[in-house]
Parts: sequence; C-alpha cells; structure tokens
Amino acid sequence: MSLAFVNALECKEPHNDEIWSVAWTANNTAVSTSADGTVKQWDSTSGQASMSRPPHNLAIVSLSVSPNGQYALYNGLDGTTYLWDLENDTVVGRHESYDRSVVKDAEPSYSVSLNPKGATYAGTSNSGNVNIYSASPDSFGTRQVVLPSGRNRHGMHCAHSPDGTRVALSNEAGQVFIFDLESQALTSTYSSHAMCIRSLAWSYDGQLLLTASDDKRLILHDVRSTPSGKPGSGAVATLTGHSSWVLSTSISPDGRLAVSGSADKTIKVWDLSARAAVSTLQESGEVWSVSWSPKPAAPGSAGAFISGGQDGHVRWWRSAGAGA
Amino acid sequence: MDFAHEALVDDVPLTKRDMYYKDVPLFKAQGTVDRLVDDLAVTLDLERADLKIRAASKGLLSGTGLTIHLLGGETIYINDLEGTLIPTGETIERFVLVGNISWILVVEKEAVFQTLCRFQFASHPSLPGPGLIITGKGYPDVATRQLVKTLSDNLPTHIPIVALVDGDAYGLDILSVYKYGSRSLRHQNDKLAARRIEWLGIWISEIADLEIDLDALIPITLHDEKKALAVLSRSTDFLPRRWRHVKELTRMLHTRRKAEIEILSSSPGKRFTSLIHYLSHKMCHFIEMSA
Repeated sequence: MSLAFVNALECKEPHNDEIWSVAWTANNTAVSTSADGTVKQWDSTSGQASMSRPPHNLAIVSLSVSPNGQYALYNGLDGTTYLWDLENDTVVGRHESYDRSVVKDAEPSYSVSLNPKGATYAGTSNSGNVNIYSASPDSFGTRQVVLPSGRNRHGMHCAHSPDGTRVALSNEAGQVFIFDLESQALTSTYSSHAMCIRSLAWSYDGQLLLTASDDKRLILHDVRSTPSGKPGSGAVATLTGHSSWVLSTSISPDGRLAVSGSADKTIKVWDLSARAAVSTLQESGEVWSVSWSPKPAAPGSAGAFISGGQDGHVRWWRSAGAGA
Repeated sequence: MDFAHEALVDDVPLTKRDMYYKDVPLFKAQGTVDRLVDDLAVTLDLERADLKIRAASKGLLSGTGLTIHLLGGETIYINDLEGTLIPTGETIERFVLVGNISWILVVEKEAVFQTLCRFQFASHPSLPGPGLIITGKGYPDVATRQLVKTLSDNLPTHIPIVALVDGDAYGLDILSVYKYGSRSLRHQNDKLAARRIEWLGIWISEIADLEIDLDALIPITLHDEKKALAVLSRSTDFLPRRWRHVKELTRMLHTRRKAEIEILSSSPGKRFTSLIHYLSHKMCHFIEMSA
C-alpha cells in the first residue's frame, strides 16, 4: 500500500540556517526554531511568517508548544529557556538553566517539554536527570523536582504524555525512561536501541511511544499503564527503511500513521498497523524535525504534517487523496 | 632571575627547560618557570629573548622551497621527505624562498605531518606548485608561531596559509593560537598573531559530502562539550561571530559527534590516500580563492 503526499506549501522566507525543531499548533500555525538562534511563527495557509523573535546568541535546540497553541517553550544550546506567548507576541519567561548562583547543582537544559496541563515544564540534562521547572511567568524556571534516570548519560529528548501525567526521556545510549509525575517515580525503562535516540513521540491516547534512533530505525513501544502497575510490554514493532540516522518523529492524531525525518534526506510516512512505510518523500537536506497537524484528518484524507531541516525551509505536506 | 642575569652576563642563551632543570625542587614544575619568565619580561617591559632566555623549539617543517640562514652562519636546508626542527626566531638571520611556493599548510598533529612527509605531499603533483608543511605538534610554541607569522607577513596574498585541525574545540583553540595569539603572551600578540591563516578543515559539516558514513564520527565527551560551549560563549568578545567555527562547533554539539582528521584515513579501501585526495582538493580550492 502506498500513500501520496504532496508538498502543498513552502515558507515564504526561510531561516538563514538549519531548522532543528518545528511544531504545528492547534491554531493552524507553525513554529520553527533555527541553528542561528531565530524562532518564527508561520501562517499555515499563506506560508508567511507572522511573528519572529530576535535571535538568541546561540542555536535553539528544542521546542515545545502548548496544546492550545498559545505558548511556545524553546531552549538555546547554552540552556537559556524562553516561554513565548504567541497570542500577545511577548516573552513571558526566561531562565538561564545553567546558572548556579541560586541553585548549587543547577544543570543546563537541553531538550524541553511543556506539560500539557500548563503549570510546569521538563528539561533534560547531561547527567540523565529530568528536571521539572515552574512554567508560571512569575516563577518561571524555579526548579521543583529532579527525576533521576539512574543512567549518567546525556538526555537527548523529553516529551510529556498528552494527558500530562507522565514524561518520557531518551538518552544518548539508546534508553527510554518513563516517569510518573504524580508519584515522581521512574516507572519504566526500555533499552530497545543501542544507539542515540534523538526524538520520541507519544500517540494521542498515551498508549504508544515511538522512538527515532541513530541506528536507522524507529521502534514502537506499548507503554500503557496497567491497573496492576506493571509497565507496558515495551517494543512491539520496528520500522526499518531509513539509510541513516532517524532524527525526528511524530504520530497522527488518529494513531494510524507516523512520520519520520532522517539524515538520509528523506521523510517517511509509516502505517503503524502494517508496520511499513507507505510514502517516502525526498528532501534536499537532513530532515531534523517533523510535526503532524493536531487536527484530525478529513474523511478520505490521510492528513498533513510539516517538516524542517538543513535547508532552513518549513514545508507543509498534505495527503494527495484518499488513503487505503 | 639569577639564571637570567647569568645568561646575560655570560652571553650564553638559556632555554626555559634548562632553567627548570637547574633547580627542580625550587621550581617544582615547568609551568612555574614559564610563568616567572613571562612575568619578568612584562615587568621589565622586555621580550623574553632580551633576557637571553630562548624558547626551545619543537615544531617541524617540510618542503623544498625555503632555506633558513642562521645568525651564526649556518644554513638549514629542508626537504619534503622528513621534518626539520624549526629554529627559534632569535637565531634566524633571514629566510630565502626558493622556487615558487604556492601554499602553506599547518597541521595540528605530528602523526598527520609524518604521513604527509611519507607521501612527499609538499611536492605533490596534484597541486599547482610546491608548498610548505608545518606542525607545532599540538599547541604551537613561540618558534613555530614566529615562523608562521613571518610567512604570513611576507608572502604575497595569493599564497594561502591554511590549517588542518580536528573539527573540535581543541583543534579550533590551536588554530586560534596561530591566528590571534595565546592569552598568556598577550603583550606580545602583535608579533605572533598570523591573522591570515584560515581553517582548511576538517569540518564536521563536510563529512556527509565526503561520503563518509555519519557513524564514523566519534561521540563527543563531556570535556569536548564543556570546551565547545565555553568557546561559543566567548566567541562574541574574542573571536568574530560569523567565523566558520561557530557553525562547526554548534553542529558538533547538536549531533553529539566530532570529526577528527583520522576519519579521512579510515575510509574503507582508501586508507591514507583519501587524506591526500582531500587535502589536494581543498588546497586547490583555497589557491583558486586566493588568486
């Protein structure tokens, strides 16, 4: 089976440097961050930039948007974390996570994730901890909890489950850790990859976690919390096909499809029940980030997603017709 | 200070290494001698050489286009098959350029220098003309930097002066020592900074184009990370922002991998010839750009 996706739209003015994160918001805008420190919001109908931030002095390495599309949390290479109110175009929070003058063991953040419930955000660090910080503008960046993974390796990516009860961490060694935020406990560890996991994505129902690794594969994990408290069974499917590092992944709202971006300069769309690629799209450079549209696809359509990568262009891709 | 005075009175030059060995229990570490000598020079507003304390040389030079005449009357001839020790600046009367030197290559590592000598790279037919290869064996000493500085000041601008260093913060730090001078010798900076020198490679961003597997890149260590972040944060005040190093160090930190020169030799089936091929190709490019 194959699905056709077309490049429906390209941003009107690309970033001057590589894009490393993109997010499609609930307000039908796209947010992108770049290696040159710039952050922009785009209108998904016209491709015009509607808003941008003055550049941070270093590259932006992580982006997370709130479910209602109002806030964008982004983080610089040095660990300076910003909260941007997209509705009013103001930065309402700024925290230098590497600053040890107040918190003696403060760690610079790398990947950041806004809790969908709004009050906090998570940041990964070099040491394998996930730090939970206040996202409230009046106390932005105040560290509240430290969640240790037990493995002293650089945390590549973190993401909250859509219901905000759990946060997942992936590290450079290929491990995944899931923490329950209420009990502040590590509930599951998966070692499905032996190489760096650069990105992971939750399904909208919080039952599946898809990891993207330098081992050129994506692995689908069952992460359901069972009533008995035992963690989900873990790896249930391996998606192969990319010929280089898989850099990013995102799952469609209906859970049927996933999209991945790779250093092999392609984007692949995967059917999650068939566990196979149904579309391969050629890009001009490494594809560092992909994000599925949060709106469920229209009947007969497979949906839409955006991509961003080495050439600095945000691209909108739409399904060309009825899926199988 | 006594040792320096003695050296001046007797007119016998002394190296810092000699001084250290004269009283190891007193000085305890070579670094102590080095710092004392520098402090003395600054305090008396003199050059280290004026104190008759000479830097011992460790740098090597290879090629066919240069003859060095020393003050004592001796002449140093160099060749393209093996390295010649670079004499200290104070002993040099004059350089004589022989033939049509077309390029100058400074390499970070001695092992790479020796490999290039084995291939007589200084006279390699793939290049439009002969060149000079210099290594400081890591961080360059004063004598090596003086040589590079002299070449930089006196050679016409169509002759590129380029450096082959690892694509990590340490390699770039070494390049910045040649280009801007070392922080400890800041008061002598105008004499030793060879601003003309450019970074030929190796760049992490060119690895994919060289058809080298990304997995051949080495994972960075915590030291690499800390040093790279320090360089990037410093770069707004010490080094120009738009320089290539910002892009390369950023990519290194983002991919969590670094490119070391050895990655060229490790291409399967090509071994050392891919280093030669890479250098020829890039050097020709720099020669074209400088014309």
